[in-house]
Amino acid sequence: MTPPRRSPSPPRAVRRIEDGTRASFAALGGPCELLLDSEDVREASRLMAFAAGEAFRIERKFGRYRPEGEVHRIHGARGRPVEVDEETANLLDYAVLCHESSEGRFDITSGVLRRVWRFDGGSTVPGPEAVREVLALVGWERVRWERPVLQLPEGMEIDLGGLGKEYAVDRAAALVGQEAACSFLVNFGGDLFASGPRRGGKPWAVGVDDPDHTGQAPLYRVDLERGGLATSGDARRFLMHEGRRLGHILDPRTGWPVEGAPRSVTVLAGTCLEAGTLSTLAYLRGPGAEAFLLEQGVEFRIL
Amino acid sequence: MQLTPSGPPRGLRARLAAAACVLLAAGAPGTVRADATSPAWSLDASGLVYAEKDRTNIVEPVAKITRLLPGGGSLAGQFEIDAMSGASPTGAQPSHQVVTTTSSSGGSSTQSVDQVPTAPFHDFRGAADLTWAQPLGPLTFTTGGHFSNERDYQSRGGHESVALDLFQHRTTLTVGGGKNDDHEFPVGIGGIRVGLTNTASPQFQSSGDQAKTVTDGLVGISQVLTRRWLVSLTGARTHEEGYLTEPYKIISLIVDDPLSATFGAPSPDSALTENRPRTRNRSSVVGSSVYHLADDVLYTSYRYYWDDWGIRSHTVDVRYRTDLPDHDWLQPHLRFYTQTQADFFTFGLPLSMPVSQRPEYATSDFRMGPLHTVTLGLTYGFKPGTAPGDLSVRGEYMRQWGDGHPASAIGVQQQMDLFPSEDVFTVMVGYSLPF
Repeated sequence: MTPPRRSPSPPRAVRRIEDGTRASFAALGGPCELLLDSEDVREASRLMAFAAGEAFRIERKFGRYRPEGEVHRIHGARGRPVEVDEETANLLDYAVLCHESSEGRFDITSGVLRRVWRFDGGSTVPGPEAVREVLALVGWERVRWERPVLQLPEGMEIDLGGLGKEYAVDRAAALVGQEAACSFLVNFGGDLFASGPRRGGKPWAVGVDDPDHTGQAPLYRVDLERGGLATSGDARRFLMHEGRRLGHILDPRTGWPVEGAPRSVTVLAGTCLEAGTLSTLAYLRGPGAEAFLLEQGVEFRIL
Repeated sequence: MQLTPSGPPRGLRARLAAAACVLLAAGAPGTVRADATSPAWSLDASGLVYAEKDRTNIVEPVAKITRLLPGGGSLAGQFEIDAMSGASPTGAQPSHQVVTTTSSSGGSSTQSVDQVPTAPFHDFRGAADLTWAQPLGPLTFTTGGHFSNERDYQSRGGHESVALDLFQHRTTLTVGGGKNDDHEFPVGIGGIRVGLTNTASPQFQSSGDQAKTVTDGLVGISQVLTRRWLVSLTGARTHEEGYLTEPYKIISLIVDDPLSATFGAPSPDSALTENRPRTRNRSSVVGSSVYHLADDVLYTSYRYYWDDWGIRSHTVDVRYRTDLPDHDWLQPHLRFYTQTQADFFTFGLPLSMPVSQRPEYATSDFRMGPLHTVTLGLTYGFKPGTAPGDLSVRGEYMRQWGDGHPASAIGVQQQMDLFPSEDVFTVMVGYSLPF
């Protein structure tokens, strides 16, 4: 008589795996895990509470649908100025830097475009009027941001989801790092942070999926010792239009999916946030993704 | 392709790295200790209202509380109360006359002409179930016990299972078993009646209650085929022994001379108590599949069941879950069920049949008959405004039918629908909250 659940949460499980311990839970819209280079299941359970607690906190605070959250409060102001707290202000400052350094390709106000685009593997694209109508609600330059006061024109929305997950990975890693005596890997839905080499100096082996054949054997392996890793791409979320595959990352300047983008961009960097930002900015450059990453002098893989 | 870093970070990357560093170093003001806020408890509650047209109404609140334990284990307690009332078919067959039947609550009822006789009842059932699951390496042990009590029935039992995860959780093997000890103490009919005796002058068994033991075992395998597709196959076997007869159900004695039907049926108390064998071996095989599409999930399952009473059944169940904007979701549900009748099922025995020729076992319980059902349902899940937790509402419609004009119909039965179709509506509200 138990109703079916939205996601396979909260099964939170801590299990011994081949050469360590895995704690898993569901948050931020997907599966999350903490891998520990230790056999201590009890300790893994204790450390998971830090990672999961931080993931739930960030989800509550910055989730678009969370009525108790900051984003909801900002939207609820309906055009009036709102004073935000320090953490939100820091995230907004970071988003502004991303916006400026991508000539407007990265824009946290672009989430409303999802009202007209559905990336379900189908072939329906919205008409030009529909896109134009929604585009009227997109554009960070229309927002007044004078820290700590944010004024969003009525009808516009912000979405910190693009940054929130990577931010959560780094935050969770910082909290776990204060407590853990062993090396560990935080993985929130494919965005990762590794705290350092494993016992015996071995790196963490991370498999990256072929976007066309998710769920099968990973296409290649990345060795990660310390730092963040994030992937942007259209795996699973795309639609086919006139024989072209349109990925789910939209260019806020045109309201259309980025053209000519690689299927998947994986970046390794010092933090997960940095890796995620660079992979998104690269993807948004479409065919210029590789040149952009070469210029940044960062380790990456492109498919 | 892979490229290795070339030189120190520069330009944009350096600025992003610095900004990320500032953002992460500032941290979260007032970050609470994670272990104080993370939900280690969760509550699932639901209420069920079940209504068969003109028949049973059940209100069934259920609460399940789960506590996650350090080390990955969990402890779950489920508490359930059923308040049932309404009318249940007695097994007696419709006739052209007004029919009066006794009931499980000690009263009696009078049935209109040509309707399936039912007996009014109301009952109250309380049940508790405790389950403990503990992973240990690749094994997960589950053990539990339950107890339920109602006015005329008591059940207690235990179950154990162990699951083995192989190949990085891609394959799970499960073996389990359980045992139940049940007792039946019929009320309102004077005790346990001897099988196949006339209800007008009942004979009683010497003992006031009757016991039944149920032993079951299962083996299962589930396999992750791809990240989107999970399939499983489970075989189960159950052995029941003891008093398996339904103490309130009866069998009509039918006038088999077509002429006398014209002049009136015999008195309505011409009925026998039913009688079923004292053992039953039940087997089933279930195959199921869960497939994740881009955003939606498709659940399908097929079950084949057989027992040594002659019942064979097929069940096909399909559910499709689709997400709506704002975290709402919808799940349509379609189920089809069909079964053959038990070897000793009968719509009634001829009045003229000598006692010595009566079968050893007989029942007119429609659940032992040739029965088909189709179920259509829809579940809608949503977030309740600003309140925490998840709510869901499920509505279901079930139509049940059988062959109402079987070749075996006797006398007056040939003019009637012996198995009228039945419509059942169910509404369930569920609430789930991690805390």
